[in-house]
Amino acid sequence: MAGAIIENMSTKKLVIVGVILLLFQAFSFMVGGLIAPSPTTAIHYMATKCVDNVKSHYMSKKWFMPWGPNHCDKVRDFDEATAKKIEANNIVFAVHIPMPNKEMSPWFQFMLVILQFDIAFKMYNQIEDGAVVTVDVGLAYRDDSLGEWTEMAHSIEQRKLSCNFTTPKTIDNEGRYYECDLMPLMELGCVFHKYYLLNIRLPVSDHKKVNRGIGEIKDIRLVGIHQNGGFTKVWFAMKTFLTPSILIIMIWYWRRITMMSRPPVLLEKVIFALGISMTFINIPVEWFSVGFEWTWMLLFGDIRQGIFYAMLLSFWIIFCGEHLMDQMERNRFSVYWKQVGPIVFGSFCLFIFDMCERGVQLTNPFYSIWASDVGTELAMAFIIVAGICACLYFLFLCFMVFQVFRNISGKRTSLPAMTKARRLHYEGLIFRFKFLMLVTLACAAMTVIFFIISQVNEGHWHWGDYTVQVNSAFFTGIYGMWNLYVFALMFLYAPSHKRYGDEQSSGDQVGNSGEDIQLTTTITHVDGPTEVYKMMRKEAQE
Amino acid sequence: MSSEHLLKSLLMLFLALFSANASNWLYLAKLSSVGSISDEETCEKLRGLIQRQVQICKRNVEVMDAVRRGAQLAIDECQYQFRNRRWNCSTLETVPVFGKVVTQGTREAAFVYAISAASVAFAVTRACSSGELEKCGCDRNVHGVSPEGFQWSGCSDNIAYGVAFSQSFVDVRERSKGQSSNRALMNLHNNEAGRKAILNNMRVECKCHGVSGSCEVKTCWKAMPPFRKVGNVIKEKFDGATEVEQRKIGTTKVLVPRNSQFKPHTDEDLVYLDPSPDFCDHDPRTPGMLGTVGRYCNKTSKAIDGCELMCCGRGFHTEEVEVVDRCSCKFHWCCYVKCKQCRKMVEMHTCR
Repeated sequence: MAGAIIENMSTKKLVIVGVILLLFQAFSFMVGGLIAPSPTTAIHYMATKCVDNVKSHYMSKKWFMPWGPNHCDKVRDFDEATAKKIEANNIVFAVHIPMPNKEMSPWFQFMLVILQFDIAFKMYNQIEDGAVVTVDVGLAYRDDSLGEWTEMAHSIEQRKLSCNFTTPKTIDNEGRYYECDLMPLMELGCVFHKYYLLNIRLPVSDHKKVNRGIGEIKDIRLVGIHQNGGFTKVWFAMKTFLTPSILIIMIWYWRRITMMSRPPVLLEKVIFALGISMTFINIPVEWFSVGFEWTWMLLFGDIRQGIFYAMLLSFWIIFCGEHLMDQMERNRFSVYWKQVGPIVFGSFCLFIFDMCERGVQLTNPFYSIWASDVGTELAMAFIIVAGICACLYFLFLCFMVFQVFRNISGKRTSLPAMTKARRLHYEGLIFRFKFLMLVTLACAAMTVIFFIISQVNEGHWHWGDYTVQVNSAFFTGIYGMWNLYVFALMFLYAPSHKRYGDEQSSGDQVGNSGEDIQLTTTITHVDGPTEVYKMMRKEAQE
Repeated sequence: MSSEHLLKSLLMLFLALFSANASNWLYLAKLSSVGSISDEETCEKLRGLIQRQVQICKRNVEVMDAVRRGAQLAIDECQYQFRNRRWNCSTLETVPVFGKVVTQGTREAAFVYAISAASVAFAVTRACSSGELEKCGCDRNVHGVSPEGFQWSGCSDNIAYGVAFSQSFVDVRERSKGQSSNRALMNLHNNEAGRKAILNNMRVECKCHGVSGSCEVKTCWKAMPPFRKVGNVIKEKFDGATEVEQRKIGTTKVLVPRNSQFKPHTDEDLVYLDPSPDFCDHDPRTPGMLGTVGRYCNKTSKAIDGCELMCCGRGFHTEEVEVVDRCSCKFHWCCYVKCKQCRKMVEMHTCR
């Protein structure tokens, strides 16, 4: 009877493999921490207040530059505008991305822009409850610092203004600013051009009740967030390196399985599927985003990640189920519908949510599902349903793990009484399960710990002369870790060609002839499912 | 500004040459007649700058407009914070703008130095964010060692540039005098305390943008507090300022609290050397010492804005005044307010 490689491997070899994997793990952390810069950068932009002298501003297709040779007519503040009798409809907030003498690059991968208002408290001009700001926003690009601007998107968007004023609303506190929540303004899935220009208007219409009761706006601030070019390069390099390694082990694994006389069992298929989804994430198709304007890359990345997560969660369930060591026949995917169902349904909900947000952003980068009440409710519904699914899943998983441990302790007592082959078989099962359990828990704990560190920490640690980028180390390290996890899984749980020894055939016979503990189907059961069916039938007859 | 003012300032130039004061550059706020500071020659003409500051001006002409706005911001904020005090931060058309009040090592001087150092840092940082300055952020303090700078690892926060500029421009007067004088030590300390009022009150804001907007990827940044907040912080420090004296510890001179019972001051606290005058009476020999005659006061208050304290016991006039107030207004977010005028009678109290 053949076991998995992990059972037949000597402890020494296992330790060597473990050490090598640990080295790679440390390496992947170091790549992020020492070579890569922090994953993202946020840049502040203060909008310049330009004056549009054309009366009917909807007609003018002019773009307003905040600085540079063709900069617009500016006003320093709105007191100046009031003095010059300029109306709100003639004010254009202009922001050039990036700063002077800088260029954006496709290596930035994505760019999102956050909108913030500085609103001063005035006794007679306060923010009304449930105030909504209507922004008329246009985005243009150019690749030549003196060229013409080309319009990319234009939209009229609404954003809820949720501001609070922490000090008492007295005349003494006039001029203090409200504290307002951040508002998402724009999300680009691809930073293909060198220069971007945002022109924002806040049109006022008294009879349509547009932009009424939004207080006295002093300034508009934007924060542009993009991925750092250095991080992208390190990330791509890592993916490019990981793809062939996972691909090679996958091919090797599948060859081992097809070389066997029996058809592959469910668990083997699931591990292979996990390998495929890992490769799917790994394949560095992002290289194309450097050369092509593919705005759907962000969405595609989300989908790939989602598939991998769903696959990993399903794998854990099936792995537990196949190691339950009870009398039930599994080895069919349909048995697990109850446990895998929530995963699929939850992922589907998140997919729909993502399509609603990032999918729509493909056509209108200013779209946000959170901007409207219906959208917010819908989004919340999707997220809550996904959360319930996640809870259900973890309940199932915990219950299954508990069952396995209960069965293990049950089997322990009857182990010495068994024949050698049967004992080896169960010992193998228990060892395999405990090993994976341990590794999985370690990986999950690492992920959680690093996630917390990266959330709490400022982002970088100083260590002598070196600056360690904790966030980058988190991303590359955790990514490397799950790759190594899948790699180790395929390597260690592939069927082994080694033989246990001479007694194996006699052991099998003894097993068939009457012990009440049934061999359930496992990854390495040489007879495969058919034999188990036979046994089941035999038992039923008895 | 009118030509009369310009003439006046020119006259005062001669006076100014004799009084060396570190906050003279605040006079930039009064120089709206100069227009924009756009070339190196203008630097020479700017009043209130010492030679080293003129050099900085020439090297960083583009920043000077922001410095001037900073000076204006400092004066406005000072006047807001001191609106209810006997000395209400009133400016003169001379150099120094606050008269002689800030030439001594008083609490008020400590406040003025702190708020002006902070305001320059604030205004320069703001100018950086509006793209007016080309040197900000990316040239210094880039984290991550790489030749590609912005493309590789982005830029450092603009506040780093603003603070660094404030340090070089505002502190240069004290530094040029050498570290020996206790006034220089006090001013440097208070300048730094002012900048700390910004740095220690930066708001950390974060945005999650991972898969489906989850917090798997989170970007945080620091946003400058509104300047009113900075003013409030410095005003609090003013109220709790520590009186210090110079002492020699080893070879370096340091400022230590005069009363050894008090706990030593921190980097953020304001320090002063001399007790403040009472600011009650007009003193023609001390420019800027305007006294409180004719100031409005609050009859019911027991604090410094109350008539008792404000008028220094001289008593006050009371008269009924018709005040035109705005009411039932219609307004837009910018530049348009249409109000009815509501008249009401108010009792006004003015100090004798």
